[in-house]
Amino acid sequence: MTRAEIEAKLIGIVRKEKDVPDDKLTPETTLVDAGIDSLDSLTILFGIEEEFGISIPDDRAKTIKTFGDMIDVVEALLPAAS
Amino acid sequence: MTRVAITGIGIVSCFGGGKAVTLDALRNARSGIKRIESIDASALNCKIGGEVPRDAHEGLHRGNDRFTRFALIAADEAAEQANYANIGLGDDRVGSLIGTGLGGCETLDAGYKRVYGENLPRVAPATIAWSMYNAATSAVATKYRARGVAYAVVSACASSAHAIGLAYQAIKSGQADAVFAGGADAPLTFGIIRAWESMRVLAVDNEHPEAACRPFSADRKGLVLAEGAAVLFLESFDHATSRNQPILGEIAGFGATSDAGHVTDPSADGAARAMRMAINDAGVQPNDVGYINAHGTATRANDATETAAIKSVFGDRVPPVSSTKSMHGHSMGASGAIEIASSLLALNEGFLPPTINLDTPDPECDLDYVPHRPREAAASLFLSNSFGFGGMNAVIAVRTLLPQR
Repeated sequence: MTRAEIEAKLIGIVRKEKDVPDDKLTPETTLVDAGIDSLDSLTILFGIEEEFGISIPDDRAKTIKTFGDMIDVVEALLPAAS
Repeated sequence: MTRVAITGIGIVSCFGGGKAVTLDALRNARSGIKRIESIDASALNCKIGGEVPRDAHEGLHRGNDRFTRFALIAADEAAEQANYANIGLGDDRVGSLIGTGLGGCETLDAGYKRVYGENLPRVAPATIAWSMYNAATSAVATKYRARGVAYAVVSACASSAHAIGLAYQAIKSGQADAVFAGGADAPLTFGIIRAWESMRVLAVDNEHPEAACRPFSADRKGLVLAEGAAVLFLESFDHATSRNQPILGEIAGFGATSDAGHVTDPSADGAARAMRMAINDAGVQPNDVGYINAHGTATRANDATETAAIKSVFGDRVPPVSSTKSMHGHSMGASGAIEIASSLLALNEGFLPPTINLDTPDPECDLDYVPHRPREAAASLFLSNSFGFGGMNAVIAVRTLLPQR
């Protein structure tokens, strides 16, 4: 799966939880700036785990500050073959 | 002595959302009990319930459990009627007391299904925050920035009556000047219906849902589970008057007792003491009560026991009694608030809401239950009875808009 494909899926997951405007959905935007609070963020990570079939460890989850961080985490945890 | 005015009413039930559809159903003696559609009920024995119609809640207040969404819908209606935008109070003088019997059933049901049914390692991260019993009262407090007294009130099927009673006491005592008070429940989940089926107290008439709930009738078969919420906006009379806010009624008295008896078998004594306490608290006599909205669940045990309790309080001058649960079912912790709201709406329009499906007289239930059809009547004060499992009894005395005797 390419980075762009991951990003597209992530946007879908975020949008299911929260109405975030397009200009706030860039890899550089912090979750806080996008209006995503701590509980929203947990719910989005839960959606990511379900969608990609991965398990994000707690210590890894705590490092996520931006949408770009989310893409990095998913990319690192996806099986290499895909 | 501070008097407590009702200046806003919000209600959502199987009749639909709002006061107008509620009044229309009560006036036309129309049941809201139908086949359950929000979950797959095909494997259940009981496939009927008092379900809130989809168009009354879909898309509203998402990001909460169903019971909290109902509470917010009812609070919105009450706040709008009470002109809350211009309340003119410090936000620490406004409270939120929302009762619930079962809390976030939808959230828990979905979580348990994943954990035990599908062996999945994680549940929705908001499971704790959405399922807690105070989720609804907290959401109402947050939306309306009510920063005063706030907590959830839990006493099974008496929860919202206790919440309204406690809100009345909070205003009377000076703890708050205004309170969002009521209750919400959404128990129509697969697991909860299964649990009620196991108690063998559900009226299962899947072919005739509207005829299933038959309070005080000799052929009654049990209760019909329902969901919904009602919220009253209560404020001190002085404050309502000072801002020229129309007053819809008054919480006049509150009685609360415990049976200290059997967990599920009700006691006439506990119910009667709660009624007497509410009447005394209102500073009136039994003769002043013009109508009683019964707990009237349509179980074998409740209806005969409640009838005996009413007779022991009112002697040979019992006012008309009816069970609106015959039409809207038993919405657990929300039922007291739904019934107080329904009764006040009907009486302010000059009629008593009926007990439908009362087809066969029961020698143990021999009062005037306003059978089948509503009745034109003028009642200036009514009681609303709510009795919960665990022997928790709450009775609220309410003054209507009609001239006092």
